[in-house]
Amino acid sequence: MSLPKETERLLADPAPGITAVPHDDNLRYFNVTIQGPDGCAFQGGTFKLELFLPEEYPMSPPKVRFLTKIYHPNIDKLGRICLDILKDKWSPALQIRTVLLSIQALLSAPNPDDPLATDVAKHYKENEKDAIRVSKEWTEKFAK
Amino acid sequence: MAKVPRNFRLLEELEKGEKGIGDGSCSYGLEDGDDLLMTKWTGTIIGPGHTVHENRIYSLQITCGENYPDKPPEVKFISRVNLPFVNGLNGKVDPSKLPILANWTRNGTLETLLTEIRREMASSYNRKLPQPPEGTTF
Repeated sequence: MSLPKETERLLADPAPGITAVPHDDNLRYFNVTIQGPDGCAFQGGTFKLELFLPEEYPMSPPKVRFLTKIYHPNIDKLGRICLDILKDKWSPALQIRTVLLSIQALLSAPNPDDPLATDVAKHYKENEKDAIRVSKEWTEKFAK
Repeated sequence: MAKVPRNFRLLEELEKGEKGIGDGSCSYGLEDGDDLLMTKWTGTIIGPGHTVHENRIYSLQITCGENYPDKPPEVKFISRVNLPFVNGLNGKVDPSKLPILANWTRNGTLETLLTEIRREMASSYNRKLPQPPEGTTF
C-alpha cells in the first residue's frame, strides 16, 4: 500500500506554499492550502482546498476542489478545477504533490481558452485588466 | 473500502443529476449554484401515471446536513400534497414514516430518495388519496 508512505513524505517534506494534512478519521481525505503565487492576481491569498484519493487511486486521479471562493477562468463556482492531469492526462506516476503544484501553477497562468467558468473566461478574454482587478478583489475578500 | 467524503459524494450526485437520472420522472439540482457547501437542493417528482398524482409536478426541498450521507437528508414538500408521511401543515416529510429515511444507509442518494417517494405515491394505499388543488404550495 503506497498511500501512507506518500502521505508521510508529503508531511515531512511539503512543497513551498502548499500544505496537505489528512483527516484523522479518513486518511484518503486531505485538507489542503495553497498560497497564491507571487506576481499574479492571487498573490497573498491562502486558498483552502479539499482532496480525496478514490478507491482506484493511483490508477485514477485524486479528486480536488477549492473551498475558498476564487475568480479564475478554470475554476467554477463550486470550486471544481479544469486541469488536464485531473482528467484524461492523469498518469499513475503523478502524485498528490505534482497535482497540487500544478494547481498552484494554474493560479499564475489562467487559461481562458479552456474555461470551466465561462463568464469569468469571457471577462478575461474581453478585458483582462478588469478581470484581474476582480480576481484581486476576491483574493482580498475571501482568501485572507 | 475508501469512504467518500460528503462533499465529493455530493459533487458526484450533482454531476449525475445534471446529466439526468432514470426516465426523467425525478430530478434534482442545487438550489443555489454558488453554494460551496451544497446544503440546499431542489427535487422534482412527476406524479406517477394512473394515480391521483398523474400529470402533477411536485417540488421538494432537500437539505443535506454536514453529516450527509452518514445521516439522511431532511425533506420537505413545497408543492401541497396529501400523503401519510408528509406533515399536512408544513410539508415536512416525517423520516420515521418513510422507510428509506428511517433505515437510511450510505447507499442512499438523492436519486434513490426521490424515486422511493414517487414509488410511495403510487402504492395501493396512496394512489387514491384525495389531493389539494393542483399548483398550491405549503
